[in-house]
Amino acid sequence: MQPDIAETLRYLGVRGAPDEALRRDVEQAAAALAEQVQPQYTYRVFPAVPGPDGIVLAGAGMTLPGETAAKMLAECGRAALLLCTLGAPFETLLRACQARSMARAVVLDACGSALVEAGCAAAEREIAERFPGCWLTDRFSPGYGDLPLALQTSLCAALDAGRRLGVSVTESLLLNPTKTVTAVIGLAETPQAARIRGCGACALGDACAYRKGGGTCAV
Amino acid sequence: MRSEFWKEGLLLLDGAMGTVLQQRGLPPGGIPELLNLTDPGLLTSIHREYIDAGSRVIYANTFGANRLKLEKTGKTVDEVVAAGVAAAKRAAAGTDARVALDVGPLGALLEPMGTLTFEQAYDLFREMAEAGTRAGADLAVIETMTDLYETKAALLAVKENTGLPVFVTMSFDRTGRTFTGCTVASMARTLEALGADAVGLNCSLGPDLLAPLLEELVRNTRLPVIAKPNAGLPDPADGHYDTDPEAFAAGLARCLDAGVTIVGGCCGTTPDYIRRLAALLRDRKPAARAYDTVSFVCSPVTPCRIDGVRIIGERVNPTGKKRLQQALLERDLDYILDVAVQQEDAGADILDVNVGFPGVDETELLPLVVKKLQSAVSLPLQLDSSNAAALEAALRVYNGKAAVNSVNGDPETLETVLPVVKKYGAAVVGLTLDKGGIPLTAEARVKIARRILEAARSYGIPDEDVWIDCLTLTASAQQNQAAETLRAVRRIREELGLQVVLGVSNISFGLPNRTLITENFLVQALGAGLTLPILNPNQREMTDAVAAFRVLSGEDRECRAFIARFSGAPAAQTAPAAPETLTLDDAVVRGLAAEAGRLARTALETETELELVERHLIPALDRVGADYEAGRAFLPQLLSAAQAAQAVFEVVRESIAKSGGTPVRKGRFVIATVQGDIHDIGKNIVKTVLENYGYEALDLGRDVAPETVLETVQREKIRLVGLSALMTTTLPAMEATIRLLHTLPEPPAVFVGGAVVTPEYAREMGADYYARDARESVEIARKVFGK
Repeated sequence: MQPDIAETLRYLGVRGAPDEALRRDVEQAAAALAEQVQPQYTYRVFPAVPGPDGIVLAGAGMTLPGETAAKMLAECGRAALLLCTLGAPFETLLRACQARSMARAVVLDACGSALVEAGCAAAEREIAERFPGCWLTDRFSPGYGDLPLALQTSLCAALDAGRRLGVSVTESLLLNPTKTVTAVIGLAETPQAARIRGCGACALGDACAYRKGGGTCAV
Repeated sequence: MRSEFWKEGLLLLDGAMGTVLQQRGLPPGGIPELLNLTDPGLLTSIHREYIDAGSRVIYANTFGANRLKLEKTGKTVDEVVAAGVAAAKRAAAGTDARVALDVGPLGALLEPMGTLTFEQAYDLFREMAEAGTRAGADLAVIETMTDLYETKAALLAVKENTGLPVFVTMSFDRTGRTFTGCTVASMARTLEALGADAVGLNCSLGPDLLAPLLEELVRNTRLPVIAKPNAGLPDPADGHYDTDPEAFAAGLARCLDAGVTIVGGCCGTTPDYIRRLAALLRDRKPAARAYDTVSFVCSPVTPCRIDGVRIIGERVNPTGKKRLQQALLERDLDYILDVAVQQEDAGADILDVNVGFPGVDETELLPLVVKKLQSAVSLPLQLDSSNAAALEAALRVYNGKAAVNSVNGDPETLETVLPVVKKYGAAVVGLTLDKGGIPLTAEARVKIARRILEAARSYGIPDEDVWIDCLTLTASAQQNQAAETLRAVRRIREELGLQVVLGVSNISFGLPNRTLITENFLVQALGAGLTLPILNPNQREMTDAVAAFRVLSGEDRECRAFIARFSGAPAAQTAPAAPETLTLDDAVVRGLAAEAGRLARTALETETELELVERHLIPALDRVGADYEAGRAFLPQLLSAAQAAQAVFEVVRESIAKSGGTPVRKGRFVIATVQGDIHDIGKNIVKTVLENYGYEALDLGRDVAPETVLETVQREKIRLVGLSALMTTTLPAMEATIRLLHTLPEPPAVFVGGAVVTPEYAREMGADYYARDARESVEIARKVFGK
């Protein structure tokens, strides 16, 4: 897997066409990163049943409260919990890079963000393949909408994230290693509308800097 | 003498506890150790099933019974461990099965990845170890570890606080590394040297995938080797493990063939698996195994086998280096790290670390420097001090297997330093001198080397960990000694078979064209058998000479490294070549650090340091800053310019250190990522940019308590504080820090920034300034310091 270059440039705050030197630096950093670190992911699929306090994933020992989960999983009999991480090796690489060049480190950091996204996309494709006949919702994460960030702890516990991928959740609910994404994906038997991706689903609306510039953030 | 049951033939451990409990209805995500108090009978019955199946060691249900995990349950480590061990002992009563205190990872990451310190981890493990001993465990097992540093803390805690035998197993993925990048060789040789009684692998994979890793492990240790794999991999849909008892036993048979003698099962295994293993062991004997005897040091990620020439970088040593002396006195750890990083990039294999200088407390500073270097340098370190307390403090927090430089033939140094070397499993350099000074004949130096070797053996230090330094004397002063040193090298290599160390640079002291003399001496010494030259790897001539030697000695197989070094395309330039007419200002704007440094040196011939900064550096940085604000330049370019400015500042600092003048100081600020937050790249960006405008940073790091910020501000009389937070969950800590600072009679100005901080939040929290980005922080600093 490779980090997407356009996405990496966006993370670096680049709008419009970047100069050639910067683009080349990003491409080199992305290729070098992909050779050294690949995203690792794990997921499990659980039956999802509406309950009085939210959507219940009994097998995971979790309840997903709030409107976001209710809306996202409205037509889903099952939900996948997903965790994708670049792990400790990326953190080590980033620390080593920061000691050498902060300019290269910010590029590496942006490449890392794009690479973990690429890992999530690959995991989604794998889930879709393993569950033929199912339609997947957009993935959504603790902290998105009204899905509580506090779910990080139980989500990681349900996936045995410490043992399986070396990921821990701190007291203040941060995931460590830092290039880690957790998500919920609904599995339905009917086609699912895009509810998160695309400008129509985005809360920023006309306030978006990318749209003002005539582009999109491409999420 | 205690019974060493783990060395006698084959030993059968138990299978999983956690997944068996889940099969029996325990919901996932809970704390299974609480069952020790609520349902000990269930645990006893599972233990008993394992014993009946053939287990001779059962693991008590104490894997996660540490204070961090139990904190919110209201239960103490002591009661949970005691109940867990008691439940196991009830099952073992009347059988010959032994009960192990099970010690798993703490569930929080250690520094530098996380915020838990080595010392805190040690304390958490010590509590478990003491509780386990009190409860009557027969041994301790440290298992499922993925961080060698955490493993070392646990192993020291058990060994220093109990008399229990201790098994250690770590989890590896199929690439042959743990999640933190630790290699099998680093793990095996570090843990054996630290005094583990048996080592091995558990969890993560099934026996078929673990087998090749176990073969490697067996070659890297003399200890009994343990295999406790999973029943294959779990199915994402139902969590069911895919390897049945029959296939599991077949996979373990291969591990036994490789020389493994202690076996059991991890996740997904049940008493059925253990019963099948018992049948497998019944008609087997331990397989023959071969240990690969080799001198070895390592960090977790970089094993260094000394089976050829390895370069020891000499630059972290203040002798004759004014700038480094200044850095040591000011505790400028970033500068020391920079010196280390350059040597790693220049091709060193091991780095010597010496912080001894009048006014420096080595016992306090050496461990800090070790931690700092290991946060960003992957090479193994050679700790260079004659102070046994400093060595012990640094060896304790070193991650991996280190070397110690040095002891000598004086019995007093041998008696104080060698026990520390043995305890922490380091290699040690022995200087061929004693109270009588440096002997002038090779004969006498060999004699001292023998004495050092005998002393090391008497402490149980293996020969391959004893490295002899034959001592280089200055050719301009004692010309006949160069040949004598070479003779000593040859004899020690041939007669004692030990690794030979020489600091080669000293040979040319006081002569013109030093490089030529040093290189010649280096080549002759390598020819005589020198394996560990201590030199300056930044001198290309030296590393080139070693590269050539490796071809001629046959170490560089098929000349691959040499060809890659000399015939490949020239290294890609990060920036286009500079034109002839490049000005200092342009060099900074374009981020050409080397050029900027060179031009700064030239400029200092006609301008003062201050003029250089005010007339060239700051205006150039402002130009990039303006482009950044206008969207014509982006963060990487802003930082490249900052780095070029840093190169200029380095020239300025050197110049001032040489002339003994007053440093350019525009103001000191404190910067920190707030408590609970572990993201620090944003903070580091702001720090880099401000430093290169001439402001001096006191970087408190990340996860910084409000009290620490307050103390520093008071002690150092700080007028500006920068705080960073990336998550909404850590904003309250930012606010708390500001509130605490406002209790001061004259509070410093505070600026805040980070992904979730907005100008509104900043105002509400009482911050004086909100910095949207690093560039804005410069404007804030200018306002606060008035320049």
